[in-house]
This record gives sequence, structure tokens and C-alpha cells, in this order.
Amino acid sequence: MSWLGAVCIFISTTWIGFELAKKVRDRPKQLRQLKVGLQSLEAEIMYGLIPLDEAFLHLSRQLSGPVAEFFLHAGKSLEESVSSVQEAWENGLSHLSAASSFKKEEIEILRQFGATLGRHDRENQQKQIRLALAHLERELAEANDAQMKHEKMYKSLGILLGLLLIILLV
Amino acid sequence: MEHVLAVLPEAVGKLIRQLPQERKERIEEIRFRLMKPLELIMNGRPEFLLAGAGPYIIQPEDGVQLLNKLSRYSLYALEEELKRGYITIKGGHRVGLAGKVITEKGEVKAIRDIGSYNIRIARQKIGSAERLVSSLYESGHWLNTLIVGAPQTGKTTLLRDLARTASTGCSAKNIPSSKVGIVDERSEIAGSVKGIPQFMLGERVDVLDACPKAEGMMMMIRSMSPEVLIVDEIGRKEDVDAILEAMNAGVQMMMTVHGHSLEEALRRPAIFPLAEMKLFDRYVELTRTGSPGTVQGIYNRDRKPLSMEQGSSL
Repeated sequence: MSWLGAVCIFISTTWIGFELAKKVRDRPKQLRQLKVGLQSLEAEIMYGLIPLDEAFLHLSRQLSGPVAEFFLHAGKSLEESVSSVQEAWENGLSHLSAASSFKKEEIEILRQFGATLGRHDRENQQKQIRLALAHLERELAEANDAQMKHEKMYKSLGILLGLLLIILLV
Repeated sequence: MEHVLAVLPEAVGKLIRQLPQERKERIEEIRFRLMKPLELIMNGRPEFLLAGAGPYIIQPEDGVQLLNKLSRYSLYALEEELKRGYITIKGGHRVGLAGKVITEKGEVKAIRDIGSYNIRIARQKIGSAERLVSSLYESGHWLNTLIVGAPQTGKTTLLRDLARTASTGCSAKNIPSSKVGIVDERSEIAGSVKGIPQFMLGERVDVLDACPKAEGMMMMIRSMSPEVLIVDEIGRKEDVDAILEAMNAGVQMMMTVHGHSLEEALRRPAIFPLAEMKLFDRYVELTRTGSPGTVQGIYNRDRKPLSMEQGSSL
């Protein structure tokens, strides 16, 4: 009987460790997706002069994962009902912060960027996108660092913690 | 009308929706001026819609909402339109803008802080040109025609229907269809949105949308080989050169010009040489006695009236 308990403990701590490691690993991946997204948005605005709702839906088709869903949400709510870009952007963000591995900082960068969308002429819009991209670049470097440092650690910590508990309890 | 209602701010949209259908039909313009009463033009007369005790006053939010809807929340997408001072929306309706103009090196760069909006409702009157067909078509081709009228007399409406008639032809009068080229500098004739004409213009129409007239006419002749070329609101020197070029290239032309009467229009320096050379085979004079689109008279190339019922409405 005690063996069964031990296996249960081992599996669950290992699983927690891997889950944490996945979060650390996914963040840079999603950040890169987001950067690609903003770069494409820049192209849509600068060269295509495409309205935001359409541009968002284009982006959601080009990208994948939670970032694509974010643009899909924002685009859909802009198309349907809301009274401002900011509202649609917020709708998307609340979804994104739940579904992605982004930290508060990234969400905050996006929030501030969203407040400027659609209110300026092309040139200023481009400056805002460049600014957001610069901020995201910094976050990406930090996220890469964290991945290198923590990914393996979380995995082994999960396994070892399981073993420790089993030893203590036996 | 649905396309217009879709861009109106909620409060204004509600007021207009409440109007009886028969009055809605007669709206020609919806005018917004910030902090001023909402104005509708019906049958050429202003009307102010009531909300509660007094007339409805346009709030700054109404302006913001209207601009948001017009640009689909993307101001950058309107750059070209803000330079020209008007936006064409679905259905071919046009929204004129006025406000603080930003210039750069003496050229208009954009309109910022927009204070006035004028939504002009476009209505296509299919068949309005029909009664003119027999005077404007002769021995196998359309005649070079100049339509003269003051603003809001239905010049463009008539021109649009002439374009449609020429491109579809008229089997009852034994007129075959022709290739029609439209140079639509102000996006008013075809009302194109993203290059697609919003009005019914028949199957054989090519439209150069938002293209400067003089250049556009040459482009059309060079590449699209139109049989009938249609332009709106001529009046500049360079237009005249292009018109001369086109007429001598064997293209039949139909165009409009601003003027309260034929005499007045022909006094304009840009029009005068064309009339002197007797390039136009027909002049159509429009007035607005009663309803828009009343034909005052049709004249031949020597400016002698052609027999037709005087003052008959289209």
C-alpha cells in the first residue's frame, strides 16, 4: 500500500516541476511570437493601411498559440460591438494573461501600447510599435536568461523533492 | 441608408431611425458641427431634429464616435482621405470634413481637430438619363456632352446614369453597349470603396478611382481604350488639354461643370476655349426648381436649344 502512495507523491511533484519548467520554456517562445505579431502589424499599418480589425484577424491567422488567440479575440470584439480599440484590446489581454506564460510586465507593455492604437497617423503609429518592440526585446532577453537558469532546475527539483518526501515518510 | 446609419453615433442614429420612412427618404445631407444643433437637409431646406426640449446638440463624443466608425478605429488608414477632405463610405455616400488644416511646404497634409462633418447621402436614380438618350446618341455613337448645373442640381446623378446607360446599351432604342471609362477624381460617380464601384454601372465600366482628372484621362486613353470617357467637375487648365487630347483621339466624352447657367459656365476661363472650338455636341442645363435634376434645356453645338419639353423633371 505504501508503495502506491510513494508513487503518487513522486508523480505529482515531478509533474509540478515539469509544469513550472514548461512555463519558463514557453515564455520566450510566446514572446518571440508576439514580436513577430507586432512587426507584422507594423507592415499592415505602414504599407497596407489596413484597418485594425482586419489587421488583427490577419495576424491571428499568421501566428499560433495564445498570441494568435489574443489577436483573434481583439479583432472579433472590434468587429462586433465595442466602442473603442482600447476596450477590444483589453478583452484580448484578459484572455491572454490567463492563457499564456507572460508575466505582468509584458501584459503592462501591451496595455500601454494598446492605448495608442488607431489614434495616430502612420508615422506616430510606427514609433509606438517600435517602442513596444524595444520593451519586448528587453523582456525576451530576460526570459531567455530565466529559461537557461531555471528550466532544468525546476525539473530536477520536482523529481528530487518527490524522492525526499518519500524518504522522509517511509 | 443602412450604410449611413451604421456609421452614425448611437444618439444621432436613434433620432434618425425614429423618423418616418417617407422623411428618411428625403434626407440629402446630415451635418454635424461640434456643439451646434444637428442639421438635416431635406429637399434643399435645413431641418433641426428635436431631442427633448430643444434641438439635439452635437457633443464632442459624437464627433469622436463618428470618426472612429468612419476609420474603423484606425486613423492611420484615413491619411489620404484626411488630406483630400472627404471619405467615401460603403454605398457610395460621402462624408466631407472641415477643421484645423495642417500644411507642410504649402500643401495640405491633413485635417486635424475636425469640427464639421457633412454626410451626403448618395442616391442612384436608375433611369434618370433615359429621356435624354435620344438627344445624346446619334448615328452610331454617343455625343460629346457637357452637363451644366449649380451644386445639388443632380449633375453627378445624371452623369452616373448616363455612364450606366452607355455601358449597358439600350435595346429599345437600338443602342449597343460601349466600353465606358470613368475618371472618378472625387469618388463620386462610382463611389468606389477599395476599387469596387458601389453603384450599379453596368458590366462594361472601368473606373480610375481618386485619380487626378487630367492624368487619369490620358491613362485611360493609353491603356483602357474606352469608347465613352466620363469625368466630373472639370474646370482647371490642365483638364482642358487632356479633354482636347481625348476628343481628338476619337473618344466620346461626357462631363459636368459647375455653373448656375450655361452662359455663366462658358465664361469660365477653362471652359471658354472648348466652347469656342465647338467641341461639345450637346449642352445639358440643369436647375433645381422643385426637385433636383430638372432639365432646363438641351442645346446643340451652336448653343441653340434643341426641342424638348422645357423644365421637365427627370
